[in-house]
Amino acid sequence: MVLGLFIFSLIIIVLPALVGDICSPVYKGSGKWVFRWVSGQFLLWAGFQLIAVPLILRQQGFGLVVLLYWFYIAALLLLTLGIRMRRKAYDLLPPVSAGRKKEKNAWLHHSLWFGFWMLLVLQLVQAVRLAYADGDDAFYVSITTTTVNAGTMYMKDPYTGLATTFNARYGLAPFPVWCAFLAKMTGLHPATMTQVALPVVLIGMTYAIFYLIGNRLFPEKNGQLPLFMMFTQLLVLYGGYSFSSAANFMLARTQQGKSVLGNVVIPFLLFLFFVLMRRLQKNEEVPKELFLLFAAAAVTGCMCTSLGALLVCVFVGVTGLVGSIMYRRFRVVLPLAICVSPCLIFAFVYLVLK
Amino acid sequence: MWNDIVTLFKDYMGTGLIVILFLVAVLYLWMNEKRKSIRILFIYVPVILLLLYFNPLFASLVYGVAGSEIYYRILWLLPMTIVIAYTAVHICGKLKGKAQVLFAVAMVFVILVSGSLVYRNPFFDEADNPYHIPEEVVQICDAIEVPGREVMAVFPKELLQYVRQYSATICMPYGREMLVDRWNDKDRSFYDAMEQEQLVIEEVLPGVNQWQCHYIILPADKPIVGEPEEYGWIWFGQIGEYAIYRNTNYQLNVP
Repeated sequence: MVLGLFIFSLIIIVLPALVGDICSPVYKGSGKWVFRWVSGQFLLWAGFQLIAVPLILRQQGFGLVVLLYWFYIAALLLLTLGIRMRRKAYDLLPPVSAGRKKEKNAWLHHSLWFGFWMLLVLQLVQAVRLAYADGDDAFYVSITTTTVNAGTMYMKDPYTGLATTFNARYGLAPFPVWCAFLAKMTGLHPATMTQVALPVVLIGMTYAIFYLIGNRLFPEKNGQLPLFMMFTQLLVLYGGYSFSSAANFMLARTQQGKSVLGNVVIPFLLFLFFVLMRRLQKNEEVPKELFLLFAAAAVTGCMCTSLGALLVCVFVGVTGLVGSIMYRRFRVVLPLAICVSPCLIFAFVYLVLK
Repeated sequence: MWNDIVTLFKDYMGTGLIVILFLVAVLYLWMNEKRKSIRILFIYVPVILLLLYFNPLFASLVYGVAGSEIYYRILWLLPMTIVIAYTAVHICGKLKGKAQVLFAVAMVFVILVSGSLVYRNPFFDEADNPYHIPEEVVQICDAIEVPGREVMAVFPKELLQYVRQYSATICMPYGREMLVDRWNDKDRSFYDAMEQEQLVIEEVLPGVNQWQCHYIILPADKPIVGEPEEYGWIWFGQIGEYAIYRNTNYQLNVP
């Protein structure tokens, strides 16, 4: 168990943080490692989707997905190394503090951050301590368990274990297969992986993205950032006003792909738009790595759930169009359209298979 | 369809207070926010998305592609948490001294009153084990698993959704699909026979034989009509509140 958790932390924290260096030109300032971690994970997720779906449709074994995914990870690491070696030396220096003013009231500032961390620890402890009885887990977790055990993907009915006709529709959003990859690599039981280990990381990732957004919202008045973070936590903790709220999904059904879409992918797209609009505002060139991240987020949306393709297209479409009109920079529309084009392809395949 | 859309929106709102708070926040930002990027992402885009949500043409498109049940997820595109939190901090920043603290405390109070603590959800329960699966399911599966082969077992309805999450080698003649009314295209005769108040062996026998069940798991206090031994069902043991019978009519050899 301990060794499994150690391997898990390497795969889910260290590896993305290294790979995320590819996108480091997108984001400067404090929270650089947080950005690398999140963006690296999106690059990894996108690669998994592009590898797994064709193999699922061709009814190949899970072992081949694992093998090719490791090749992909190795290629990304080599690319990271190559890019790092080519970057100028000053990139290696610690980031400048983005012009932040020294806190007037350091005591209050630290207290708010302390409060934030306490609330975060509470949520992580609850994720481990409390089990949530959700019928959909009978589908998602069972797919993960079956994939690890049988080495096949979507060939058995997850509810009964009986052989079934291949249902490719579900295979277009193979988030449970990615969970199976984690379970296989770490040796943790698939149920432990999906219902205990992964929620801890995903809850942390949502707040990491909120932090990145907060950094954009409060670039100078740093004292407001921890207050913002605490308010987001309270709104999430008290988001149980409806079974369908994103906050409820975040804490109750954390490991399900649809929850990842609502609480990780969509907030990350919002953050990317903040970065894009800041560039447009300053009339700066938009780095190609930013569009790479848009594409990775779009593909990850498709990996989470079949509806992801539609939601990502709607969000990127509406926001991209409004942004380009408001800034009168219509040249960003085409790259954004290219970024979400994989969603259209997945949506088309979904409709064909439906 | 319009009624469906409104009903889904009402369900999504719950008490409605958080959504009202969000709309008030958007209105406040409309009047006070100067930064263009925030106006776009926190005002214009959410308003357009809400208009899209209530647009029957858009709804019919989504209904056609993804079905009606999950249409509410369009509302996930509204950054409600971020907008409310940002607006609260924005107002705090405009106030000075005690007024600032008072507003922050008042805002916390409003959130606590408007929302509902997620952990109050009745489906949350203390986890029995690191699998987040009822301990009885884990113990039953461990007891009936045979290394190297699959086993067919029939379980009571309250355990159906957990078995396959824990063990991929235990198969069942029916699973969670029996618990969802709208998936009523399945043959329910075996399930209905198993879930009667008392188990009449003659009634469940066709299902047990059709699926070649190696094990039959029942609530231990469930009355049984018929002698299990006469049908080749041997008492295997009891785990928690469940009795396990081994059906000797079907062998469990490792291939």
